[in-house]
Amino acid sequence: MIETATQSVITGTMMGIIYALIALGLSIIFGVMNVVNFAHGDFVMLAMYLSFTVGTLFAWDAVITPVITVPLLFVFGLITYYLLIDRTLRQMYVVQLAVTVGLQILMRSAALIIWQAQPRALQYSFIQGNIEIGPYSILTSRLVGAVVSLIFIGGIAYFLNKTWSGKAMRAASDDLDVASLMGVNYHRTYALTFAIGAALTAVAGGLLMSFQQTDPQGGVRFGLLSWCVLALAGLGSLPGLIVSGIIVGIAETFAISFIDPRARLLAVYAIFILVLWLRPRGLFGRK
Amino acid sequence: MENQPMLKVTNLTKKFGNLVAVNNASMEVYPGEIVGLIGPNGAGKTTLFNAITGLYKPENGKVVFKGVNITGFLPHKICKLGMSRTFQVTRAFLHMTVEDTVRVGAYNRRNEKNVLAKVDEIIELCELGDIRTRVCGDLGLAQLRKVELARALATEPEMLLLDEAGAGLNATELSAFMTLLQSLNKDYHITFCVVEHVMQMVMGICQRIVVLDSGELIASGTPSEISHNQRVIEAYLGKRAVNYVN
Ligand SMILES: Nc1ncnc2c1ncn2[C@@H]1O[C@H](COP(=O)(O)OP(=O)(O)OP(=O)(O)O)[C@@H](O)[C@H]1O
Ligand SMILES: [Mg+2]
Repeated sequence: MIETATQSVITGTMMGIIYALIALGLSIIFGVMNVVNFAHGDFVMLAMYLSFTVGTLFAWDAVITPVITVPLLFVFGLITYYLLIDRTLRQMYVVQLAVTVGLQILMRSAALIIWQAQPRALQYSFIQGNIEIGPYSILTSRLVGAVVSLIFIGGIAYFLNKTWSGKAMRAASDDLDVASLMGVNYHRTYALTFAIGAALTAVAGGLLMSFQQTDPQGGVRFGLLSWCVLALAGLGSLPGLIVSGIIVGIAETFAISFIDPRARLLAVYAIFILVLWLRPRGLFGRK
Repeated sequence: MENQPMLKVTNLTKKFGNLVAVNNASMEVYPGEIVGLIGPNGAGKTTLFNAITGLYKPENGKVVFKGVNITGFLPHKICKLGMSRTFQVTRAFLHMTVEDTVRVGAYNRRNEKNVLAKVDEIIELCELGDIRTRVCGDLGLAQLRKVELARALATEPEMLLLDEAGAGLNATELSAFMTLLQSLNKDYHITFCVVEHVMQMVMGICQRIVVLDSGELIASGTPSEISHNQRVIEAYLGKRAVNYVN
């Protein structure tokens, strides 16, 4: 019992850090542009499929595939921004909603056509295997996933705080009009924000493909997960995002270990609803 | 050729629904000037600034800055051309530090290599050294006004529009502020258009004053001409201000 719980905490923590990386993309898009991207989970799904294709084509290990999928998703993010999002920024909220929900459906249908309905997985990754510590075991693939995710989250923190583009993004997030009046080109800044948000899902996609399969409906799960992590964290705190990711990851593994593997999303939903109900700005969010 | 205006607004009209906030207004600001834009509350001064700087699209009229027709330009393009501003109701980047705020402005003309020199210079000029690393959300109004001025100056403008930047300052702060504006005008060669209710400041530093009332331009002239203009006195200058001038 205790052992199962401890093991769940270990596994959940590592999964949770990957979830935090996924939620980070959603968080910067929402935080900077105030755009609710309902298709975010489907970006993860697409990233996983692309990772599958790249991995199969070049016989690469899943964790290497982001070398190609990150630029692909970045460009896909740019195209999506200029073609869809940019035109709806000043429109009513429902228009934005309709556009990203439409994008979601489009991406699922495209995935169905290109990769068919059956799940796809890559060959065993070279980071397969596990590290034994007493009665517990850490799956190497999860550990690598968590570490790489932390590195990228740190990289984004550095980017936001130390670089010109990052500061422009933060300024635009605080007051778009003023940032624009101070010389910030908001089309460019927004395009970059959206593209980075998309590119981050490619990193996560590669990591996930080292131990998971993907299917056209996979976006539902990652969309919900990232919304839940974001709701729990609130906007503006990267450490808060990591902690929230871990909470969600642990809740999910607990549901799998103690209830039923099919109950995993139920636990996530429960947290999501509780947070929205009790503390709408999240545990770590700014006002 | 005669001295060309730096800013030329022609027949500008801006409506909000049925309300005509700025009505067919025309004005000019010449290089090196400090022009005061005054008028009673709701006259349309802020709206005119918003239309000039690209926040609002005017229904009619033209804005020409340094010979370029900037009507309908996006704000960042206008900023690149050399115009910046502050706000009547302060609009700080609440989650950023003072230094980062100034830095965002400074990137308008600079890159990573030489941005810091400008930031240091402006922070010293505006006496923000003590609060350099504070987050704007924690600052008081007087400090935020300074930060806004610093942010605008960091973009290295040729022309600066100040919207009631002197409001709420005490006598000492006001005279320091006026000295600063005059030195910016002289040493940094910045042309100013200032919206101001503080008559002491308008009369003290403006070479020329333009008066707006209910969206319409009703007078333009030197401070003494304006203070003796019957229409202006009726429309705008309260008893106190008249007393002050005489
Ligand atoms: N965004 C807006 N939407 C609707 N009406 C507006 C808007 N902004 C200003 N107005 C109206 O336009 C008119 C001019 O307002 P404006 O703020 O330009 O006046 P002002 O001269 O700056 O006044 P004050 O001295 O009080 O700052 C006012 O009647 C105001 O209510
Ligand atoms: Mg005003």
